[in-house]
Amino acid sequence: MSIENAVANKTTRLASTDAGRGMISAYWENIFTARERGSQVVWYNGSAVNPFFQAAGLEWAHGEAFSARLAAQKLEKPAQLAGKEYGYVDELCSYARTHLGCAVLAKNAQEQAQSGVVGLIDQKELASRLPAPDFFVNAYAGCSTGQQWDEITYRVFGKEVPIFNVSLPFLWGNKPDAGYLRGQEWEDASDYVSAQLYKLVEFIESMTGRPFDWDALRQNMTYIKRASELRREAMAMCKAVAPTPATYWDWIATIAHINFLPASQALVDYFTAVRDEIAMRVDQRIPAIKSERYRLYFDGIMNWNKVGVLARKFAEHDVAVVCGRYTHNAFWQEPHLINTDDPIRGMAQHYLLCPSNHGVQTLKYLTNRDCVDYGIDGIVFHSTRTCRAFSSPQRLLAKSAHEVLGIPSMFFEGDIADESFYKGELLESRLEAMLESIDVRRARGQLAIA
Amino acid sequence: MTKQSRDAIAELAGVAENPDEYIAQWKRDKNRKVVGLMPMNFPAEIAHAAGALPVVIQQKRTPITIGNNRLTEFHCGYTRSVADQAAKKELGLYDGFMLADHCIQLLGASDIIRDESPEVPMYFGQLISSMGDPWSREQILKKMMSFVREIENFTGRMIHESDLQNSIQLFNENRRLLRQIFDARRAGDVTFKPSELQAFVKSSMVMDKQEHSALLRQVLETAAARPSGAGLIKLHISGHFCHAPKTELLELIEDCGAIIVDDDLFHGTRYISTDIGESKAPIEALADWYLDRNVAAPCPTRVQHDVDWDRYLLNLVAESGAEGLVVLMAKFCEPHMLYYPELRKALNARGIPHVLIETEHEGIPVETIRTRIEAMLERIRRKEPSAA
Ligand code: SF4
Ligand code: SF4
Repeated sequence: MSIENAVANKTTRLASTDAGRGMISAYWENIFTARERGSQVVWYNGSAVNPFFQAAGLEWAHGEAFSARLAAQKLEKPAQLAGKEYGYVDELCSYARTHLGCAVLAKNAQEQAQSGVVGLIDQKELASRLPAPDFFVNAYAGCSTGQQWDEITYRVFGKEVPIFNVSLPFLWGNKPDAGYLRGQEWEDASDYVSAQLYKLVEFIESMTGRPFDWDALRQNMTYIKRASELRREAMAMCKAVAPTPATYWDWIATIAHINFLPASQALVDYFTAVRDEIAMRVDQRIPAIKSERYRLYFDGIMNWNKVGVLARKFAEHDVAVVCGRYTHNAFWQEPHLINTDDPIRGMAQHYLLCPSNHGVQTLKYLTNRDCVDYGIDGIVFHSTRTCRAFSSPQRLLAKSAHEVLGIPSMFFEGDIADESFYKGELLESRLEAMLESIDVRRARGQLAIA
Repeated sequence: MTKQSRDAIAELAGVAENPDEYIAQWKRDKNRKVVGLMPMNFPAEIAHAAGALPVVIQQKRTPITIGNNRLTEFHCGYTRSVADQAAKKELGLYDGFMLADHCIQLLGASDIIRDESPEVPMYFGQLISSMGDPWSREQILKKMMSFVREIENFTGRMIHESDLQNSIQLFNENRRLLRQIFDARRAGDVTFKPSELQAFVKSSMVMDKQEHSALLRQVLETAAARPSGAGLIKLHISGHFCHAPKTELLELIEDCGAIIVDDDLFHGTRYISTDIGESKAPIEALADWYLDRNVAAPCPTRVQHDVDWDRYLLNLVAESGAEGLVVLMAKFCEPHMLYYPELRKALNARGIPHVLIETEHEGIPVETIRTRIEAMLERIRRKEPSAA
């Protein structure tokens, strides 16, 4: 048996997430043909403000999501090259660099179309199929780069495309009462962002020339709330169960759905299927990794070029990566905050709950909490070269998990959307070293018990 | 230049070189609190008004060791150095820390300070970075008031309007004195070396303002104007946020046959670009200062649709007659990396020769930089006959 097959045989992927892939392709195909259908297109980054766009009858293109998709399909190079030629340095956030490259390509395509020149850009190139925006909405939490990135996109388009900024304060935790979902800072920030969301609605009305459909927003948020509850319920089923019925990689496959696909019954059905499949696995004791010996936590934004490689690598070592900051502490993760009759404040709060929008105190709390809840043996830190938002607190999180829980950590270098930063050999040797240290700890624990 | 002037320069350079010594002495003399400020927009006047010494924390030249276990090597040199200083317990002279700027790397470094010394107060009042929204000014006002409250709590001293007015006047005066020097340089007077100019600004970020202004006056009173040398190519130095570029680098640039006639560095004209209105209520004036500052010296860490760093640079170049521009980029500085292509586009459109140099904490690749600067100067020289 080849190593590939042996590893493949160790992993049982969720059938429900595989089945949901088509929803993502259909969504993007729809965006690519938006112009032909006469739809207005809005570009945005960061927070999931898409339910507003959907309610307003717009088509929405999430910048990071598109960069991630290009990277996952190994189609990121033309956009990155266009960005590089435009002057972006390789150390710049590779999501931003890829997306700005798309902006350059989209702008060129737009100009060529206007001047009647066709065919200069290969329309088959995915990067250049993104339609130029009618307007931008910026609502980026946590990372300062997000807001600057949109401002620069606005400039790449010659300042001719309107832009609206929602300012999302960082939840730093100045006061003793500050903490996750609590304290005056949290309440004040929730009010502040809510007020801006009403202004966003006014801006959208001015862009579409139509009154905003509040009922549609309430309906969208009803679907999203339900989808999120199902997702959280399914995640919770992996907490106490060893071997785990689903892995981090399965949750990665659900990000697009929960983060930017249209709110609909289909979305709820998708997460119902995921939840049911996991419940069935729990009942029938079907493991996600057949010979699970270690349970790890993954910290860092995804390395989209290497999702398959990473999933295989960990399975090869009998590791079930069970949960992580990016999957478990993001994306409508606190559905109880959403009041579907009056969704604005709950939406504002979720925009504030981006996993890179917390001071390190809160991040320590979240990481250590999840490590306990999911029975974690060690933490893998994806030291994400061009995403300082995620990598800044990592050393302190490692230190805290070690000091508080005695959990070991390892770091490996890679990037969100630039594979030149990935160091596979280091990952291999550091993973082996950490697993050995887990073995030693266990042996000591057994000896102590004996 | 008289001995008095030389002595004053040496004193300022000494503080710039070793801020800790000055801070320790100040604390011994005054027995008052020192507030460590993170760059670049915290209104230091408020801390001064409460009798504290506000100090913009400087990058240290020492090699980064333990700091590498706190922040990755792909953070900017400033944040790595601050993390290193925190981990080495070298920030003990500060009784508290304040910051207003939302740069994700800066917050990373600040969190490390907080983690290393949890008992020392730290306050982050995030000044909105989207400058042109209808609610921006109101938000800024609220933050300015929160700074007053926090500093009052921290020092245990009420800040009266007159205290703030007094501090604003002192700081404005200090900025005016510094601007006098930089304006003269733009007009062709190169009395001071770039390293001296940097020392003037850096020491201003550290010292008691009255003391600093007194020394500056001594420098100015006795220094005689020196016109820029013939045959040297005039350059503008741009960028480099939060921390000072190494002075050797500035000297290296001049050694290649150039003269630095202007800059928009944080440790240069950016720091002193804007005064605070003295005729309005101080809190209002502080809020307006923050807004005005980004118009006077646009910064890529802010978002303002009708203000362009590129246009501003072109104006500066026209004013100083600079023939070329060196973009100094602190490696990994995200806002600078994002904005750079816009600068490049504008400079290219005007035919202004320029070169991008990334700086790192660890050292200067002297020969590579020399070659690149010389190549640019050569390009400028070749252009000269046709331009004349
Ligand atoms: S650096 Fe990371 S968090 Fe910041 S904009 Fe890029 S991907 Fe987003
Ligand atoms: S603005 Fe640039 S130099 Fe300043 S802390 Fe941020 S990344 Fe570093």
